[in-house]
Amino acid sequence: MNVVRVEGLTKHFKKFHLGPLNFKVEKGTAVGLVGSNGSGKSTFFRLLMNLVHADGGTVEIFGKKMPSSEIEIKQSIGFAANMLEPFYQLSIKEISSHFSYWYPSWNQNKYEDLINRYKLDEGEKFGKCSTGMKKKVDFIFSLSHEPELLLLDEPTAGVDLGSQKKMKEDLIEFLEDGEKSLIMSTHLIDDLKQICDNIIILSPNGKVQDFLRKEEVEENWAKFWVSELTEELRCHPHVIKVNDSQHPSYLLTDQKHVVEKELREKGISVISIQRLPLDEIIEFQLDS
Amino acid sequence: MKLPIKVSEESREPIYHQIETQIKSLIVSGQLPTGSPLPSIRVLSSDLSCSVITTRRAYQNLETSGYIKTVQGKGTFVNEVEGSRKEETKRKVVQEAFEKAVYQGKQIGYTRQELSLIFEKSLSEIFDREKE
Repeated sequence: MNVVRVEGLTKHFKKFHLGPLNFKVEKGTAVGLVGSNGSGKSTFFRLLMNLVHADGGTVEIFGKKMPSSEIEIKQSIGFAANMLEPFYQLSIKEISSHFSYWYPSWNQNKYEDLINRYKLDEGEKFGKCSTGMKKKVDFIFSLSHEPELLLLDEPTAGVDLGSQKKMKEDLIEFLEDGEKSLIMSTHLIDDLKQICDNIIILSPNGKVQDFLRKEEVEENWAKFWVSELTEELRCHPHVIKVNDSQHPSYLLTDQKHVVEKELREKGISVISIQRLPLDEIIEFQLDS
Repeated sequence: MKLPIKVSEESREPIYHQIETQIKSLIVSGQLPTGSPLPSIRVLSSDLSCSVITTRRAYQNLETSGYIKTVQGKGTFVNEVEGSRKEETKRKVVQEAFEKAVYQGKQIGYTRQELSLIFEKSLSEIFDREKE
């Protein structure tokens, strides 16, 4: 079952076009959103939440259409995307009373546990909080009303290492029962490796460059160190990159088994096969 | 809960199989006694930076072969493993490790006799060092 379904979603700005975006998020999965600065990640979240209006396309969340079921949908979404600035004069506690009023499913115990866990002072004015503290407050508010879907825009950016670890644990726990889903943007490779099941790569011109499934990456992507590289291999549809400026040469493939068979048939000896680390694949996709 | 498991990027062996073998050896060596809880699939996947589907496959295989059992709503635990099965698995785990080393030696170009000598040398290095 799909929790989020986006079709042909577009947004045009003067100098930047986002989309058309097409993707689905399966229930119980975590999707990581990566892309360089200015590739439209924050706009992506705002479009999903109907905070900026799309120029085209459709968004369906929990099987219901945005924006016609907007309020109903948003009751079950935890959204953290640096949107609390307007409350800078209020204390964390005062903001929490607004949130508990807005969300019928607000869980005060959970909220208090999280405030303690992240060692925040509820009496502090939001405007006085450091960047990292603001991120933590944002994160806590997104979780405290027991959402079904979390949309987090760079939740770990600017957060100290200890708290990053706690956030990771909290997100893993959130995903544990397989009923809830997550979309988060991040620049940290460890977030992708340790939390996300699938990865959406946004290209600098605002398009979905690739949708990677972690299990497919593990199964199919590889680096082959080989004794020689033939012209045929260089042009092979599943050889996506070669490096023969050094010896031994290597090639990257997104179809390990096909290329392995090909190498065996051509009598080219394989010195070593490595699984490709995610960062190398993402780097490659962002460069191409 | 953490398990002393590591996934190798270099290995030709699929990740699910690496996880399966390492959990098996922790069980048969008695380091994970009967009844010990195992981390959830999500948690182990996160620790190993691998996909949930891969970890699930390892757990399913371990469950099918009777090494672990999942109790609905409670988690996954180490099952009672018969003594004879334990011995057999122990031997298999070690043999697989040797086979990997032999394979590597053969790839480098050593003969059977040469590998045998290296093996003897490794035995003395480790056992004699322990004596000291």
